[in-house]
Amino acid sequence: MLRVLVIGYGNTLRGDDALGPMAIERLRPLLLDVECLGCQQLAPELAERLAECELAIFVDAACDGEPGLVRMERLSPKPGGIASLTHHLEAAALLELAQALYGRVPQAVLVTGAGAVFGNREGLSEQGQQALSEICRLIPRLIQDSSAIR
Amino acid sequence: MPTITIDPVTRIEGHAKITVQLDEQGEVQNARFHVTQVRGFEKLCEGRPFTEMPALMARICGICPTSHLLASSKACDDIMAVRIPETAEKLRRIMNLAQIVQSHALSFFYLSSPDFLLGMDADPEERNIMGVIRKYPAMARDGIKLRQFGQRVLETLGGKRVHPGWIVPGGVSHPLQADQRDQILTQVPEAIRITRSALHWFKGQIENYRAEVRSFANFPSLFLAMANNANEFSAYNGWLRFVDANLDIVADHITGVDYMNYIGESGNDDSYLKSTYFKPYGLKDGVYRVGPLARLNMCESAGTAQADEELAEFRELERHSVLSSFYYHYARLIEILFSIERMDMLLHDPEILGKNVRAHAAPNNFEGVGIMEAPRGTLIHHYRIDQNGLIESANMVIATGHNNLAINHGVLQVARQFVKGNALQPGMLNRVEAVVRAFDPCLSCSTHAAGAMPLDIQLLAADGEVVDRLLR
Repeated sequence: MLRVLVIGYGNTLRGDDALGPMAIERLRPLLLDVECLGCQQLAPELAERLAECELAIFVDAACDGEPGLVRMERLSPKPGGIASLTHHLEAAALLELAQALYGRVPQAVLVTGAGAVFGNREGLSEQGQQALSEICRLIPRLIQDSSAIR
Repeated sequence: MPTITIDPVTRIEGHAKITVQLDEQGEVQNARFHVTQVRGFEKLCEGRPFTEMPALMARICGICPTSHLLASSKACDDIMAVRIPETAEKLRRIMNLAQIVQSHALSFFYLSSPDFLLGMDADPEERNIMGVIRKYPAMARDGIKLRQFGQRVLETLGGKRVHPGWIVPGGVSHPLQADQRDQILTQVPEAIRITRSALHWFKGQIENYRAEVRSFANFPSLFLAMANNANEFSAYNGWLRFVDANLDIVADHITGVDYMNYIGESGNDDSYLKSTYFKPYGLKDGVYRVGPLARLNMCESAGTAQADEELAEFRELERHSVLSSFYYHYARLIEILFSIERMDMLLHDPEILGKNVRAHAAPNNFEGVGIMEAPRGTLIHHYRIDQNGLIESANMVIATGHNNLAINHGVLQVARQFVKGNALQPGMLNRVEAVVRAFDPCLSCSTHAAGAMPLDIQLLAADGEVVDRLLR
């Protein structure tokens, strides 16, 4: 069985930025054989777990694009993407870190949902909700048909 | 007068710059560390219910939210006039120790190790964490693993790694479960192995850094840290004590609002960071240091077996107190070892799974002070409330503020030792930054202001003209 890691990240107190962690909460009971991880931000400590899986799916909110729009892109390690490792780390830079430290990197996909509001509030906007539903339909299919991203 | 500007100071938490002023011959006349960000937490919490303060204060910083959560909760305990349940106190101590581990690991491995592993004079393009990962992947993996250990403990107890909750006025919100305890305990041996290995490696490197040891804020000063009856390392409970460079006590048993009689705060016109000083000696002579170096100088023993062995060796560096701030790095590693050992002891305490973890009370005092040791040094939260329990005023005295005068002293000392204005090399300026890094300043916490500016080193000529500038 394919070892899959789904990481949803974002700030649950900043409106639609919560999309990633909320997707994880919704997906966890649906994906029993998959490691689902929600967090506020990507951190270097995730590199080891990333190196241990075969397919990594990152779920994030996007602040560009038509609100509600769901996009998917394949990711590969991004050389030079690692600065200080303390505050900000992109998914592609985390893949680079996994490659550099552990010599392994999984197939990786970034799934984003474009949000409408990112102010100080809890809960998603209507468009954020639409994106969340779409993402939660998309990811199980993605895992089932992993050949789609190979 | 020519001026060198280093802007931003790199591999520190927050935004700052350094200016180095030269005379006509290119010799260093003065050097200053300026903090260029402002956050304003002391003002923005006015009018909030005091019970909100721990959660609000945790947002001061993404690196040490736990320390603010703890100091703030202690200040609220004081307002409520409660003695928190014993189990809750032990759980809070574990949280604080985990915070020390993750923060010190970040400082040593992520921020400062490029200087030690790749060399102070290495190409700046290579002298960073990626350079370490490329050349010393095992060390980098260890550093990440050690920080992960601290963060996992924080996550297990506080629900999340950044801005955790769980610590509340009166104790903690819920008890520790047996499976959570066991999960932490399984990770202890690996964390100790990594720390011992880093200590062994660092001790072997010290001989290569004699010039840095001599000049990195190496001067007699006072030291401030928490003390207790056993004279053991204390990070959560106790009182404040000042000692001088001979380790003679100059002020002791300082608790609550009494800190105001001993700690003065002075504003600066070229930095958002206040300078604190030992009030009885005044601003000029009242320079003191806090944090790992101060704590290890202050305590007679760590109170755990392996850390005590390391502490005995550490003490052999000097006759009285260890004065070189280069040794902050060394002290940090010993504190990591101590923290892991102490956590292990606390987690084996049969009371640690106790269910009584919170005391409840309405406000019983209009004023409360919470003091504890954050990774970078002594942290004080002081609140006054009105009759409705709303914050009237808040004062936070933070480790980097305590160290500000010493950092400035160190920047000047290093600049005089290494910087030659007419033959400037990047390695010279890196040492000026590195002395700041030795203190591991956390500027977000210490200035309470909204930062957009990074770090800046300026070389100034005698007429004030900027001769060279390093901006990052």
